[in-house]
Amino acid sequence: MKSDNTFRNISVSLISIWLGIFALLAFLLVVLLSFMKNDSTTIFSWQFTLDNYAALFSSLYALVFAKSFYIAGACTFFCILLGYPFAYILARKVERWKEPLLLFLIIPFWTSSLIRSYAMVAILKTKGVLNNVLMHLGIIHHPLQLLFTNSAVMIALVYNLLPFMILPLYANLEKFDNRLIEAARDLGAGKIKTFTKIILPLSLPGIVAGSILVFLPAMTLFYIPDLLGGAKALLLGNLIENQFLLTNNWPLGSAISVTLTLIMGVMLIAHWLTSKNRERGDFL
Amino acid sequence: MKTWFLGILVFLSVPAFGAKEIVNVYAWSGEIPDAVITQFQKETGITVNFSTYDSNETLYAKLKAVNNPSYDVIEPSSYYVDRMRREGMLEPLDLSKITNIQYIDPEFLNGDYDPQNKYSMPNLWGVTGIFVNKKYFDPATIQRWSDLWEPRFANQLLLLDDVREVLPMAMMSLGFSANDSNPTDIKLAYEHLLQLRNNIKLFVSDAAASIITDEDATVGMTWNGDLYRAQLDNPNLVFIYPKDGFVIWVDCFAIPKNAPHYQNALKFINFMMRPDIALQSSMAYYYATPNLAAQKLMPANIRTSSIIYPSHDILKNGQFQTDLSEQSLNLYAQYWEMLKLKM
Repeated sequence: MKSDNTFRNISVSLISIWLGIFALLAFLLVVLLSFMKNDSTTIFSWQFTLDNYAALFSSLYALVFAKSFYIAGACTFFCILLGYPFAYILARKVERWKEPLLLFLIIPFWTSSLIRSYAMVAILKTKGVLNNVLMHLGIIHHPLQLLFTNSAVMIALVYNLLPFMILPLYANLEKFDNRLIEAARDLGAGKIKTFTKIILPLSLPGIVAGSILVFLPAMTLFYIPDLLGGAKALLLGNLIENQFLLTNNWPLGSAISVTLTLIMGVMLIAHWLTSKNRERGDFL
Repeated sequence: MKTWFLGILVFLSVPAFGAKEIVNVYAWSGEIPDAVITQFQKETGITVNFSTYDSNETLYAKLKAVNNPSYDVIEPSSYYVDRMRREGMLEPLDLSKITNIQYIDPEFLNGDYDPQNKYSMPNLWGVTGIFVNKKYFDPATIQRWSDLWEPRFANQLLLLDDVREVLPMAMMSLGFSANDSNPTDIKLAYEHLLQLRNNIKLFVSDAAASIITDEDATVGMTWNGDLYRAQLDNPNLVFIYPKDGFVIWVDCFAIPKNAPHYQNALKFINFMMRPDIALQSSMAYYYATPNLAAQKLMPANIRTSSIIYPSHDILKNGQFQTDLSEQSLNLYAQYWEMLKLKM
């Protein structure tokens, strides 16, 4: 027993120290920096200021926030549209193919997302795989100009983030109690009504969890607009990257980063509150 | 229990005990071929930790961040050598150890950016000009940067993802100097660029050659070496030295302050300047070398290529990039960001 405790203590304290240094301390530094005054030769000067946050309300940065939210929202929407039926079928319809299909979903993670984005370039480019196939089949006669457009960015974002939507949905739908559907049928509900009144509302926590996992990364995967959007479409991630690497305005970059974290925090709290309410609802 | 834990600790710290000779090199991507690094390791027994960047700004930001995170050799462009030198970020070179300086073209030594080469050695140089794919556009109709503003290039242009290339391009098209620091002129150049927005298809720096070869972009700005390389695979490509001026860049080796392996860094730089090595570096990506002995070793078609080694008459239209004041640079960066935000 005693040795068990030692092991637990060691592993818990190791992880706490690790997270404390590399996550919490790093984040606190970023928070601290976001209240400092910008100085392009020494990175920052020890003067407290709220200017960095005030700057976020300028029309230009507000526009990037709006644009990022729009792109991330659209990406989340497409992920739900594609991911929900897939997760549904995976969880409830296929028995023999379940494990291979799940494996196929995981396999892309064995390769870095950056490398897979380069692969997307090879597929989407003018003389790329997609155009060659479509031309060969006679579906199109001139190559599609997909690369370096917003569509290319969207395709790559959805491709990269789709598994993060499917997995929570799958976990949710798999636990689904079949008796509820039988009960609905017995009470005379049709297929559509069963879905909209029973399945969809009960899988809402899965949709919300998936959306949180998709929405935030969609705004910060800066290399996707760089590689597939021709470095034109600026997401919040690109904006942060530019502040650190290009304009040498670290405090502003930190302020944007902290704001993003706050948005994420608000979303998580909302998720937590709704799921808590739901649990209480179940008891009633 | 304790021994098990200690065992892991010892295992994790073994690499720190291995007393290996090391040099940490941080250079432009696509300028130092792997073969050269392998050869250096074989000849000297020094292990090279090699990493790359795709803009001077990235290099500068990393060095500023933690007062040199242990790089030994860096490769800033000339105007950044100037800036880092003035800000005390570079270690003076021990010129007695750099014997291969004798092979360097005197035109590339003792430049304004680094008098007497106290801090830097030129590695490769090149020119930023216009490329056209003649399958799509007649090269004869594109002779100046200002031609790129024509509406027929809607959503076609490839521009370098580099503030010190794009803003100077706009300035030269307006008849200003490429190193203009007058705030009014910088603003005019920015506003001029805003009118180019509809024509811009993409910004890219380090993967331009393949995009040009595969016709994902058919007209735009590029480095001459990249175009030469692309042309080998796609003969429709033409390089144009813009009549309204162009930028000449020189990428130089330097040693940052507090470099942990100063002597190895000197060895690496001197090695890179050996004629046979300079030849290899230059031939790998087709950027011009300032190394005269290496030039003599080159095949005639490259030595006499007007794309890589333009004549003195053409070069007269070119301008070396020089460092700008802190305020001008900030202004450049601000307008650059605004341009990107408004794309």
